[in-house]
Amino acid sequence: MTKRADDLKKINKELHLFNALDDAPKSTKGPLKDIAVSVKDCICVRGMESRAGSAILEGYTPVFDATVIERIRKAGAAIIGKTAQDAFGFGSFSVNVGKDMQIPKNPVDKTRSCGGSSGGAAAITKAAEFPHIALAESTGGSIVAPASFCGVIGFCPTYGRVSRYGLMDYANSLDKIGPMAKSMEEIATMMQIIAGYDEKDSTSLQEPVPDYTKALTRKIKGLKIGVLKNNFGEGVDIEVAEKVADGIQKLQDQGAIVEDITLPITEKYGVACYYLLAMAEASTNLAKYSGLRYGKQEKIEGTFNEYFESTRDTFNTEAKRRIIIGTFARMAGFRDAYYLQATKVRTKIIDEYKKAFKKVDILISPTMPFVAPKFSDIKKLSPLQHYQSDIMTVGPNLAGLPHMSIPVGEDKEGMPIGLLIIADHLQEETLMKVGTKL
Amino acid sequence: MKFTSDVVIGLEVHIELKTETKLFCGCSRTGSQEPNSRTCEICLGHPGSKPVVNKKAIEFALKLALATKSQIADTLIFSRKSYFYPDLSKNYQISQYELPLAEKGHLTLSDGTNINLTRIHLEEDPASLIHPSGLAASQYVLIDYNRSGNPLVELVTEPEMTSPGEARNFMKQLITILEYLEIFDSDECIIKADANVSIKESNYQRVEVKNITGFKEIERALKYEVARQQKAVKEDEKIQAETRSWDADSGTSTTLRLKESEEEYGYIIDPDLVQIELTEEWTKKIEQSMPELAHEKSKKFSEQGISEEMASIISKDKSLAELYEAVSKKVDPDLAAKWIRRELPRVLKFAKKKLDDTKIKDHHLIELLTSIKASKITETVGQKILETLVHTDLDIKKHIKDEKLEAVADSSELETHCKAAIKEAPQAVEDYKAGNEKSLNFIVGLVMKATRGQASPPEVLEVLKKLL
Repeated sequence: MTKRADDLKKINKELHLFNALDDAPKSTKGPLKDIAVSVKDCICVRGMESRAGSAILEGYTPVFDATVIERIRKAGAAIIGKTAQDAFGFGSFSVNVGKDMQIPKNPVDKTRSCGGSSGGAAAITKAAEFPHIALAESTGGSIVAPASFCGVIGFCPTYGRVSRYGLMDYANSLDKIGPMAKSMEEIATMMQIIAGYDEKDSTSLQEPVPDYTKALTRKIKGLKIGVLKNNFGEGVDIEVAEKVADGIQKLQDQGAIVEDITLPITEKYGVACYYLLAMAEASTNLAKYSGLRYGKQEKIEGTFNEYFESTRDTFNTEAKRRIIIGTFARMAGFRDAYYLQATKVRTKIIDEYKKAFKKVDILISPTMPFVAPKFSDIKKLSPLQHYQSDIMTVGPNLAGLPHMSIPVGEDKEGMPIGLLIIADHLQEETLMKVGTKL
Repeated sequence: MKFTSDVVIGLEVHIELKTETKLFCGCSRTGSQEPNSRTCEICLGHPGSKPVVNKKAIEFALKLALATKSQIADTLIFSRKSYFYPDLSKNYQISQYELPLAEKGHLTLSDGTNINLTRIHLEEDPASLIHPSGLAASQYVLIDYNRSGNPLVELVTEPEMTSPGEARNFMKQLITILEYLEIFDSDECIIKADANVSIKESNYQRVEVKNITGFKEIERALKYEVARQQKAVKEDEKIQAETRSWDADSGTSTTLRLKESEEEYGYIIDPDLVQIELTEEWTKKIEQSMPELAHEKSKKFSEQGISEEMASIISKDKSLAELYEAVSKKVDPDLAAKWIRRELPRVLKFAKKKLDDTKIKDHHLIELLTSIKASKITETVGQKILETLVHTDLDIKKHIKDEKLEAVADSSELETHCKAAIKEAPQAVEDYKAGNEKSLNFIVGLVMKATRGQASPPEVLEVLKKLL
């Protein structure tokens, strides 16, 4: 066994960051040679058990590679395993794992959450002492939130920039695959490989992919920053607000210009709009898990409805909750008031961001209102409080905007704090340029 | 809606489109019958797989929309229709909901009546369920996903048909259009109808009959349903709002479910499929590629001089109509029509072949009919040549010459044949002389045999009468 494989085993035993591990992954020639790549469990890797963190997909090994996996294989990557997550991406703290699965822990403090839903991805990015990049996924903040809690860079591209083919769907109109790493160089390298049009994903964008590494060295003199001022007030940890403000100052020192921005519609309706749409889509996506063609099977008994019922009991509480709420939101009689209304609000939110980007180049806010919470505190949260923690991240996700969390220091207890940068559609280069200056 | 007729019928027809591949993946639509052999992660609904729409299927559906003078939507939007059933690989079907591909078209019946169409939309076919020992007796069900994801067009009519016969007529006209557009093949594509039926006596209480295959079945199923409802009313039974399933084998229908409310499908827009602009440029291009349709051909043919009935029959079959069109330019239209309407279908039926599967081309028929018209060969010889043409490509002129098939025009030669035949059949001669005119046919037959059909029967008859 190599040292890396040995390390991984030890880390996993302690922190439960992986749902599947490969002891001896192959690495070939290419830009990712000798770089270990961990893959969020919801991204299909041919021949490797892929469960999206759920128990209902127990034993499921995909018959095909996701497009991003095809691309990183060609670039020489060694795929080391599938990282832990909230089942199907349903959560912000990676505590909603599949039945009988273990909750991943934050490498900075084991009594705390590593964030979610891409918790395993962020934690291994922090813990790895070997060259490593994670492939994570975000629907409403699942890349930047755990990156912020673990103190690594989480990068979520424009919706459609990276193919979703082979990504197990949470909410198809919101899902995005993106990298996590310790350096901007690694982020740029990975983006260069995974970005670009894919005919297998109808929603993937045709626009050419720029040379991302060139963006890293560009100056930020004259860059216009919009500070989302309402994200620094009530409900936000003072230390978090301070460290993010320090980050903004650092950019100002390098010639950036700052102004305050508010997004009234997004701030007021973002969370509600996000959860309605995400749950409505999720409730249809999860219908296919019925123990009939793949995954966990029960003893075949009774009618097909009875069989589906017994198999689908394997879903965890959060999955059941989202299926029920999502189904309700799209039922005749409620559909207009909830699902359709949310699609209209989403358009308004996109317009609001578009207007802001006429004035500024990037928007900045804390990524999360607080540092990684202790598991004991998470237990006290109601589902609604749990959802509210996404207040700063759902906006760019609803609008399909590229965004990134970058570490800007720690609180007194040593817990990492993340700064959120949002750019206009397809302006990934701007994020990279700014990222190297922090 | 205010109804006045004794019977009110509306149809919802599902038509399988004749594309190479399925609606959302690259799997073949037809081919291997081995269960689950034409499948992939997309039509099996594996996690992570995504649909990509088949452009051909869109174009085929647009052709039908144009042919029925429907209003075409600006954008194509797919929705997820959610319900749990083992034949649905994702437990939702990708279909269309709020904004169908086309609306408000019409289809004309053979008597000129227009039936209005509510909508035309695209959707994917579910898998097929196989009950190994019959629907009722089977202890288990097998699922074959070969059909899963096949492209279907759903066409919905207004409730405007007033009899089972009219519904049959509708289906026949529809199939003719589909075959003309070359978007459907009745030999290998499935066409299924669900019908809603109501009668005046029950104050038009709607009953839905599902699962009717083909245009002959539709009349049978609807006649059964109308009779069932009339009987129920007579016996003072209340007709219930329900969905019934038609069973062609037993010729009866049974209750599938009672309808207390509309089914709940929880439609959402399918976020995996982008909206596609149905631009005027695109539809224009498709319109230009469309063939002249049956009713247009029929009108043209009858204007050229053949009877309306003949024109309508010939134009029903696209390949016959095209053949007639080419042949009638060179030979007498009446003769061409007669041969294409009668002789050709007879020969094809006997050989159990379709025109396109034979060697028969327009130039053959032109050559053949010109020779007949000029009395170079007899019709009997013509029929035989046509039979040969089913499987062998012939140079007709050369064939006639090589095989010495020219009509016996020389009267002295004919007389020699007739004399020989008279000698051969003394009994028939006697019967004829005793007043039995018919026995002469036997002798004509002998002459035809001796001349290998190359003599003209009326001429032979004349010569025989003279000799006797």
